[in-house]
Amino acid sequence: MPVYVDISRCIGCRSCEVACKRVHGGSGHVNVHFAGDNASVPVFCHHCEEASCTMACFTQALHKVGERTAFDVEKCTGCGLCRLACPFGVVWTDKIAHKCDLCEGRETPACVLTCPANALSLDFELASRRARARAALVAAHGGRR
Amino acid sequence: MIKVDEKKCLGCFSCSNVCPSQNITRTETPELRSVHWKRCKEECDLCVEFCPAKALTLVPYDESCPEPTLSFDLVACKICGSRYATEPMLKRIESSLPANLQKDSTGLDWIWVCPVCRRNIEAERATKQMVLGRSRKSP
Repeated sequence: MPVYVDISRCIGCRSCEVACKRVHGGSGHVNVHFAGDNASVPVFCHHCEEASCTMACFTQALHKVGERTAFDVEKCTGCGLCRLACPFGVVWTDKIAHKCDLCEGRETPACVLTCPANALSLDFELASRRARARAALVAAHGGRR
Repeated sequence: MIKVDEKKCLGCFSCSNVCPSQNITRTETPELRSVHWKRCKEECDLCVEFCPAKALTLVPYDESCPEPTLSFDLVACKICGSRYATEPMLKRIESSLPANLQKDSTGLDWIWVCPVCRRNIEAERATKQMVLGRSRKSP
């Protein structure tokens, strides 16, 4: 159950970055990127099904727990192999590895709660439901405005 | 005392991170990283246990034995040119991942691209469709 992004809603305010840093003692795992002035998107862990980071980790500090890619800080040696194994560059190593843990211990991740544009959610279907609703509304008003 | 198999060492700093008595030191410059193993008398094998490459072994203490230092040139990112990892570490990633995961949908060998560029590529891929749509709408 990773966090999903409705990119059309992202306003590039970086609130998710701040929220992530706040709850993770200053080291955040979200990076907001900008495509010129036209679009922005937060980049963070996808919690891949076939997670490269877990395959590279030799102590099983990174491991799969259901859909989540979990991290056991006790087992990490800070070797940095996971950082190099992540295809999206969203695992960091500063003496010790850190990545999105979906805010373990909280019911909802801080980035999802904080996003003022409701661009982040735990519901995979939400973005497409919104798109369908928009399309239906447009149709009800007699086509494209 | 620690013996290092220089053919196996990845230059990852795992041993230096786990050493409780600062007997394994590291130096890093933008182009180079070095690891230095001091002659160590401790009865401790944490570094041996936590070496991903099994490059370390414990041998009896010998005053005359030189202290090993290994240096690794850092590999430059294929896109931005910044130096980001040692070659043995990247080779190790290549050997630990299945072949179908080593190229992205555009055929890029992402292992040889630095994490910063990987994030940029991911952001570009995610926003591409929308940027096209929004550019069309703007007057």
